Amino acid sequence: MQIPWRAAPRAALSSPLTLLVSVVTALLLSFVVAAATMHSAASGSAAIDYQQNRLCKEALHPSLEATGVGAVPHQHVAEVVREITAAVPDKRPLIGTYTREKRVDFGGRPTEAKFGYRPGATDHLKVLQGGSKDGLWVPQSIAATTDLQLGKRGLGGRLPPVTAIYADVIDPLPEWWCSERHFVVPNVLDRDELATAVVWMPSAESFAELPPEAADDTDITVRFPAAAPRTIDQAQALLTEGTARIAPIRGGFNREMSPLVLPVENAAQTVRNVRSAVLPLTLISLLIGLAGIATVTVQWAQRRQHELRLLWVRGSGPFALGGRGVLELGLPLVVGGAAGLGTARLLLPVYAPSDALPPGTGSMAALAVLVVVVLSIAVTFATGALRTHRLFQVANRGNRLRKVLTALPWELATAALAAWAWNRVQHSGLSTTTEIGGLPRIDAAALAFPLLVVLTAALVTVRLARWALAASHRARLWSKPVAQLAIRRLAAASGPVTGVLLVGVLAIGTIAVGTAIAGSQKTALDVKSGMYTGANSFAQIKPDTTELPASLRGDSAIVGYVEQHDRTALVVDPKTFRDGAFPFEIDPALLNEPLRVGNVPRREVRLPGLPPVNPTAWVPSFPKLGRSGWVVPVDRIEDRKDVGSWYVWSRKPLGELTEALAAAGVKFRNVGERSKAVRGLPFLTIQWTFGFVTALGAVLAVVAAIALLLAVEVRRRQNALSGAFSARMGLGPAAMLRSHLLELGAVAAAAVVVGISASAVSTGFTVPKLDPAPRLTPAPEVPNVLPILVTTVAGSVLVVLVAAWIAVRSVRSAKIGELIRG
Amino acid sequence: MAEHVLRLSEVGVEYRTPAGAVTAVSGVTLDVPASGMTVLAGPSGSGKSTLLRVLSLVERPTAGGVELRGTGTARLSSRARRKLRRREIALVFQNPADNLIGHLDVGDNLRAAAQAAGRHAPVEELLEQLGLPGTATWKVSAMSGGQQQRLAFGCALARQATVVLADEPTSQLDTSSADLVLETLADLARRGVPVVVASHDPRLIALADTRFDLRNGVLAA
Repeated sequence: MQIPWRAAPRAALSSPLTLLVSVVTALLLSFVVAAATMHSAASGSAAIDYQQNRLCKEALHPSLEATGVGAVPHQHVAEVVREITAAVPDKRPLIGTYTREKRVDFGGRPTEAKFGYRPGATDHLKVLQGGSKDGLWVPQSIAATTDLQLGKRGLGGRLPPVTAIYADVIDPLPEWWCSERHFVVPNVLDRDELATAVVWMPSAESFAELPPEAADDTDITVRFPAAAPRTIDQAQALLTEGTARIAPIRGGFNREMSPLVLPVENAAQTVRNVRSAVLPLTLISLLIGLAGIATVTVQWAQRRQHELRLLWVRGSGPFALGGRGVLELGLPLVVGGAAGLGTARLLLPVYAPSDALPPGTGSMAALAVLVVVVLSIAVTFATGALRTHRLFQVANRGNRLRKVLTALPWELATAALAAWAWNRVQHSGLSTTTEIGGLPRIDAAALAFPLLVVLTAALVTVRLARWALAASHRARLWSKPVAQLAIRRLAAASGPVTGVLLVGVLAIGTIAVGTAIAGSQKTALDVKSGMYTGANSFAQIKPDTTELPASLRGDSAIVGYVEQHDRTALVVDPKTFRDGAFPFEIDPALLNEPLRVGNVPRREVRLPGLPPVNPTAWVPSFPKLGRSGWVVPVDRIEDRKDVGSWYVWSRKPLGELTEALAAAGVKFRNVGERSKAVRGLPFLTIQWTFGFVTALGAVLAVVAAIALLLAVEVRRRQNALSGAFSARMGLGPAAMLRSHLLELGAVAAAAVVVGISASAVSTGFTVPKLDPAPRLTPAPEVPNVLPILVTTVAGSVLVVLVAAWIAVRSVRSAKIGELIRG
Repeated sequence: MAEHVLRLSEVGVEYRTPAGAVTAVSGVTLDVPASGMTVLAGPSGSGKSTLLRVLSLVERPTAGGVELRGTGTARLSSRARRKLRRREIALVFQNPADNLIGHLDVGDNLRAAAQAAGRHAPVEELLEQLGLPGTATWKVSAMSGGQQQRLAFGCALARQATVVLADEPTSQLDTSSADLVLETLADLARRGVPVVVASHDPRLIALADTRFDLRNGVLAA
């Protein structure tokens, strides 16, 4: 290798600014691709996390139950348990055994009770009396019914003595109990006291020795508590290993549960959705980044022009000179690439929905970065070669390629793509998610619509700016020299100005689109869930419960629910309904009369338990009813027992609601809460996708800001010269600063106005259509744009102030020699 | 050996500008002798530098042909022209710094120049000849303009080029530095290296063995 090439890496040190710009450009570029790879993989982990939070974590591992017809004769229970334990030596199962309800006599009033044993159960109960683990643990509900005291022995003394009375296990269940809900939570309403809580036996042996009249068939649950998986791979491994583990023992069990099957499929689909949705903008960012690399190389060729010309005159060809560029800029690109990869990993918790990455993601991201670094080096080589070819070999022939690229109506192409994407938004858009087991399907092309609008707006702005700058020589504003000089500087730097404008509009537009759509989905999931459940939490109660416990008054309400075929109605107390219902807009006076809701016909309707109603008042939607149903004030009801079911609706969390009901002795069942009512994965997928769009927008904003600052710094000498001239002609420092503020502020203002406007228009059209659950009200709405507007304006003002300061400083700090140099 | 090292036949050069085509050189026919100093003289804008770029195979003429040691170059590919430049031609620019690689020291500049032509440079010997002994490890920026320009001719020597061309080599130098360069040029010519210089410096023109005067892109009679 000849000396100039061999010395090239060291020569890079002669221009720290070029070095820094190369490193930063490669860093941002690598960050984008590494972050895209990691973000889409992390969305799978987030999807797993979200779904398993809605499942019973204690039973994520495939498990078995022998219940109902599959129950095991009690005499064989101990044998079955031994066989299971022996069959799965690698993982200790947690086996629960439960008798059916039987009439049991503890010496007081006879009661129905069932007996159970689950290792460690007594460690997970709240003791009210006693606590010794060598006897029976009786639930408070049974103890209260039978007036049971500690030390009593049931069934004529054939049961161990009662050594503890514990608080019944109620919803929401602690994690340890969640898989046993069906066995341990008394079904107090459907069968009244018959479906009881469990009397816990002190040992497996004592359970096996239960007298025959207390135990005939036994239900068995076999769980394998395991650490919750954090990634798709872990979930898939748990599923696969668990399925293999229970395969030898599944005979004799009539229920097999693999709750992770659907979450794993959904999570994999989520990764595909997010990956395909972030791909277009990632590619655009990649192209912008590579254009940045090309610009850095052009600047390098400009700075090294004399040396390149010398080498060319001495017989080096464009390829050799392109290689010279690679040798000088390659190492910074590699360093920047590595830094980008590291930054993407470090900032993962900031931009990604989960910080858990499946194995191989790091390697995949590193591979993507490697490809990008190789591409960057190829671009550097090609740009260096092309530049020297144009500078020396075909000088004076004009740059036809550039003319063609500039003349091509790119904005028409992106506008056509936006029109096609809009068609997809309107006709396919997003699928509903409320179907059980339905995989969320998201149309990446539909999601691209707002971004394509922003891109089109950016390209149109650049085209107009280019025309305006070309025609700006007609402007004669010498009476306002501040403005005239600003215009002339803009026109003189048409290329950098339009480049910064393009990236600036894209940055602000994507940030605004990203935050608007992500925000709209977050709010939509929240509000739809609230409108779907009607309240933050609810629990079904008996019709004769007419008064709320004191601790629930003020933030809860009792609501009747009537359903017949596809017709539903609510019975509400106008005084308290809005205390417990999910916040919604309604004239309170309307609740005093029957109401029609949504699209039900205007005629008399008869529903079981309700008087015939023919409401005149109408509202478009109502909690729980959505866009179809009727609302009847409670005072119109003759007999509460005729109304289908009664609920307490509350704004409190479910735990507080059930605790308050239990403390007041109000029996309840069928509980639920807003946060788990709607399958939110499609909302979250869009939210995560556009969260990443926002992150990309932030990267583009950094690129735009750096490009603006560099453009000012690069033309330092021109600024110094023109500033010196202007100063000689009487332009004061303040006027000079105003001129630079006007020049740079015009670019920033154009970027903010066009970016925000394009995003506002596109999201205004898109957000209501991007509804993963259109059957639930309300449709997503564009959030308030003021915060993002204030943020972008503040950021732009800051960048403009710094850039203007750099420009003015270059005038004030210019040395005489620099000004008179030829 | 050919009697003439370079021959131009009816050479014309036009540039396209937004205002239309501009003729820089028109119908120039001349022979550069195989030894001695040839000077292209003329005022600024007369086409000297353009003609020098054509002679050094850096620029293709829009009309006419260039022969190097009897070989026509008009139909040669860019690659073939580069090969000729690599082996046969040394070009010295007006600005001393443009002829040297700033981040290499003096010795490496000489070595790099020789390497480009596939030759080996006896650095100390060359520096002795140039009157720059002991400067091999100097940074280029540590030298004066005149020293830099002499080093540039040293690079041309190191390349052992068939012909050395120089564009206004004294125009950016003070008188004493220019004298040193003139001395170097005269020395080159004395050694039999054909030297072609574009200049309007009367002292340099006075050294010419052959002189061509250019006026408005045309050879003066």
